[in-house]
Amino acid sequence: MSSVIQSSGEVRSATAARPRSMVNLKPAIFTMIGITVLMAGYRIYQQIYAWSAGLDSTDPAFETYWMGLLKGELVILVMSWVGLWSWLWVTRDRNLQALKPREEMRRYFNLVLYIMVYAFCVYFTGSFFAEMDASWHQTVVRDTAFTPSHVILFYGTIPLYILFGVGGFLYAMTRLPRFADRISIPYALAVAGPFLILPNLGYNEWGHAFWMMEEFFSAPLHWGFVVLGWSVLALGGLLLQIARHVFEIMGRLEQEAAA
Amino acid sequence: MSAQLQENRDSVTLYGRRWSRENADLSRTFDILVVIIMFIAITAAFHLHFQLTVGDWDFWVDWKDRQYWVTATPILLIAFPAALQYVFWEKFRLPIAATVCMLGLTLGIWITRYSGFHTWSYFPFSMVWPATMIAGGLILDAVLLLTGSALITAIIGGMSFGLLFYPANWPLLAPFRLPMEAMNSLVSVGDYIGYAYTRTSTPEYLRFIERGTLRTFGGHSAVVSAFFSGFVCILVYLLWWYIGMAFARVATLPNRMKSFMGLHDRGAEGKDA
Repeated sequence: MSSVIQSSGEVRSATAARPRSMVNLKPAIFTMIGITVLMAGYRIYQQIYAWSAGLDSTDPAFETYWMGLLKGELVILVMSWVGLWSWLWVTRDRNLQALKPREEMRRYFNLVLYIMVYAFCVYFTGSFFAEMDASWHQTVVRDTAFTPSHVILFYGTIPLYILFGVGGFLYAMTRLPRFADRISIPYALAVAGPFLILPNLGYNEWGHAFWMMEEFFSAPLHWGFVVLGWSVLALGGLLLQIARHVFEIMGRLEQEAAA
Repeated sequence: MSAQLQENRDSVTLYGRRWSRENADLSRTFDILVVIIMFIAITAAFHLHFQLTVGDWDFWVDWKDRQYWVTATPILLIAFPAALQYVFWEKFRLPIAATVCMLGLTLGIWITRYSGFHTWSYFPFSMVWPATMIAGGLILDAVLLLTGSALITAIIGGMSFGLLFYPANWPLLAPFRLPMEAMNSLVSVGDYIGYAYTRTSTPEYLRFIERGTLRTFGGHSAVVSAFFSGFVCILVYLLWWYIGMAFARVATLPNRMKSFMGLHDRGAEGKDA
């Protein structure tokens, strides 16, 4: 990924002979590998402990394997929220007026990579573990809101994408002049919509507790998730906005090179 | 000659414009990252939309009926392709949005159908196979490419999208429509598989069984459903084309927390998006 194909067909490092690389893919790639390992671990855990210890919430084994996992992941994820967001805030750039085009471009690519990691996490919630939830709840009676499916889908993957969604938004606001000057509506939508899926769980669990215990996936009870999920489409507007900014910085880079 | 060589070494033509080599590299890298982000995001959001609106008809073979499955699935499916066709076509002149949507959705569905319904909940694939939707995506993109018009794509493409869904899936579904006798009752093979594999949280009384006067149309009930679906697809396509336009709009608001963030006002410079 760090190399690009030139028009002549040769392959050359995109970052060769530059004082500082403007595109550093390694942190994003290692983060995505880490997320993949975590998700594979979750899935294996489900395979081993869902049927053996996840069918009866009054079983002591349920407390050990599922409530233990729930408490552990909530503590770690909330700590990671506090850690990453505080670090982004404390280390913010207070002198954005003096930002050079090369550094601004580097930060824009960091932002795009934040968004890529965010989208990658959203995939595991919106696609992979969401339909896994259907396969579990349409076949197994639930007697708690904290089922083997929910412990991972709702309290494992959703807080993870919130970490990177809000993290990227803070990164943009604290390090890029255009995003610091004005709040991007598409970015706010693309982060706030999926974020609101977490509190919407209250409605979901209330509905399943008092209205319908059965899992009819297309029921109106679930449409809150659908509407909030649509906001991911705002990433299109956000990427168009970033493309405009990047294009403008390219002009400044060319002017700088000519001077 | 040497000046021309020097120019070729320092610049490159991309999208009909001269770029410095460095900017061309950055532009290509940016494009690749955007493609990856959009494919992942489309897969996630479209799959969530699909499974929580018409998912039940897609999960189970006995739910794949001639009334709701044929009618509801294309109507809900055409939403994301329409929205993204606006962005891909109007902003990039790429006539691939609907096909990309369907490929992402198909990939997402197959991964979880295998990992969840088959490997975790132990249902046979003959019971939980997903429908195919790629034909509809191809026809939407083809109509938009040939006409360049959202309205004509809605009318011709939308109707075709609704009409194509059932015949595209018929080769997969036909064996499960064969009649058989079970416990002195006449049922289809698909129905019998549904009875045999218990779904304790999705009992039979939850299933939307086709009913009503559609049966008076005899063998044409699926065709009637497909035409109705195609009609609604036209309207839904137009609605979602404009929703796509709204989501692709770059809008901003002043950041009222700037002083709290320790930043100075940049004045008029910061007024654009």
